[in-house]
Amino acid sequence: MRRKLIVLAVMAAIAAASGFAADRQKLVWLQWTNEPQQKAIDAVVAAFQAKYPIDIEFEFKPGSSEGENLVKTRIAANDMPDLLTYNSGSLFQVLNLEKNFVDLSNEPFASKLLDSFKSVVSAGKGFYAIPYQPIPAGGILYNKKVYAELGLKVPKTWKEFTANCDKIKAAGKVAVIVSYKDDWTAQLLFLADYYNLQAAYPKFAQDYTANKAKFATTPAALRGFEKIQEMFTKGYINKDPMATTYDNAQAMLANGEGAHYPMATWVLASINQNFPDKMKDIGFFAQPGDSADKNGVTLWMPTNISIPKTSKKIDAAKKFLDFFVSAEGLAAYMSVGAPDGAFAIKNVKMPEGLFPATKDAITYINANKTAPALEFLSPVKGPNLPQICVEAGMGLKTPAECAAEYDRDVEKQAKQLMLPGW
Amino acid sequence: MKRKIARLAVETVAVLLALAIFGVPISYVLTNAGKSSAAAAQMSIAPAANTQYLANFSSVIAQSSYMLIRAFLNSAIITIVSIAVLLGISSTAGFVLERRKGRGISWINFLVLAGLMIPPAVVPTIWVLKTIGLYKNMMGLVLVEAALAFPFSVLLYRGYMGSIPRELDEASFIDGCTGFDLFMKVIFPLMKPVSATIAIITSISVFNDFVNPLYFLPGSKNVTVQLTLYNFISTYLNKWNLLFADILLISIPPLIFFIFFNKKIVSGMVAGAVKS
Repeated sequence: MRRKLIVLAVMAAIAAASGFAADRQKLVWLQWTNEPQQKAIDAVVAAFQAKYPIDIEFEFKPGSSEGENLVKTRIAANDMPDLLTYNSGSLFQVLNLEKNFVDLSNEPFASKLLDSFKSVVSAGKGFYAIPYQPIPAGGILYNKKVYAELGLKVPKTWKEFTANCDKIKAAGKVAVIVSYKDDWTAQLLFLADYYNLQAAYPKFAQDYTANKAKFATTPAALRGFEKIQEMFTKGYINKDPMATTYDNAQAMLANGEGAHYPMATWVLASINQNFPDKMKDIGFFAQPGDSADKNGVTLWMPTNISIPKTSKKIDAAKKFLDFFVSAEGLAAYMSVGAPDGAFAIKNVKMPEGLFPATKDAITYINANKTAPALEFLSPVKGPNLPQICVEAGMGLKTPAECAAEYDRDVEKQAKQLMLPGW
Repeated sequence: MKRKIARLAVETVAVLLALAIFGVPISYVLTNAGKSSAAAAQMSIAPAANTQYLANFSSVIAQSSYMLIRAFLNSAIITIVSIAVLLGISSTAGFVLERRKGRGISWINFLVLAGLMIPPAVVPTIWVLKTIGLYKNMMGLVLVEAALAFPFSVLLYRGYMGSIPRELDEASFIDGCTGFDLFMKVIFPLMKPVSATIAIITSISVFNDFVNPLYFLPGSKNVTVQLTLYNFISTYLNKWNLLFADILLISIPPLIFFIFFNKKIVSGMVAGAVKS
């Protein structure tokens, strides 16, 4: 008898719980693991759940190419969640946006987003995603303490930069930290040089996509590889570059063993995790070009959130996107700490307590001295760029040879995309 | 005497080499699991100045609302059930394939071998699982794991069956056994060593599997232990100390398993090798 009662009580409890839960909708969000922004995202989700009768449940995917394969597989298997986090630009375009994702161009929040962001998540007439994190800026992170000790000034031209490097080297410190063990980091000097390339050759992205301009034959484009190699030939870089990891490099910069680290501002979350008390010593400047009045920063476009078409709760998912970019959502986002860059949303007031390096980067954005990285302007990006940049950075090949090799690498990609002119 | 010394020297070198090959990575994981995130990011083998094992372990366990505990439970269920399914199917299959002769049998043997040679495809498998309603379900993953290990297990069982004399079958039939009794009461108990080998080898490969759970068992509640490793690494941010602490925690079950059943693995592998 007693057992029966317990069973009945449990059943009643389950019924009550499920009845209660039935009023609330549930959205499933396929999210990257170990995101630097996860705390901020959790805060937004909590605020959203408090306001609407909608719950959000995370499913996690690895961030590497493993995660890309997973998303492609699940699209092929018609099994997508209600919300998806993904890279903007060419990686996102490959997913066939018009067929697989919900067009957001008629939503009320569409007008809030920066056009430069919308352009990298568009296909045909529609656009398909909202920005999920602040805008990362690519350039050179530097140690302010080292600069103060040696009495150096932030360089505006490449000449001033190398002059600073010479002084740092003479003082017995590493002038430029490179971390070729993680080969993707080798690309930064090359990719972040795009602002300078665009200043010298405004139509480069178009001509390059149309196969009219090449890295090997365009002197301004060749500069990227030359700059990487110059670090090596002038002896600015640390010893054992091939054994230095991304994490090692951050420690060298934070502890002042090295003065410069060519990187984008996405590294700040990681430095803040490991060296929170050193954040005040780290500053940022744009990669210098050849003339002081053309000095600006190359921007990456933020990762995005999109709604797959197969979702059965598109309206609820749209409500969440609307909330995410609303003033309320942004307030929740910033409630757990200052963001590490400017937002791709119009008229956002930045809070107090930004990292000094973030402030430096935002100065360029406010002065409108920015260019998007080439991968957001052209679908053509060769898969072997990291290795080619390492070859340039270790002096294994001349810049001209590297550029020629990269042009060949890019050709395969362009032919696969069946672009006209290739 | 001289020979003895030479042998001793060779043995010492071998032991030292084994220590270096296995000891260095394990001690690396052990030391780094107790460091702070800044110290572990340096990837050094030097011991930590101040260890924080307890803090690291508790934050690994608490990560993503105690995902690791659920993962251990899921992995244990998946491993145990797939072993049960696999042993049941492949032992009976091995028995029949070895005892029966004929044209049909050689075709079936070929199909089993084909299972070893042809790699499984992901999208069609998801489609099949969806059609039978087992996608995102632990039973679905159990079937996938059992199917993937099936060809190899059948080969082992067949090899071992060859060493069990046919006279036993005949004697059992004379004593009044049915075919089913013969298998359950006589053959299966005799195949214990090979069953143990298969159970150990596959349980470790299923427990350590990463790719299959990733593709065939999505869902926030369906995590397995290997998937928890990705909680601590991403492109721009890594928590190496917690990663190593997690590795340490999730390698405990297979380690215990190996220590206890080590002898059985070797005896089972060799058991079917020589036909009498």
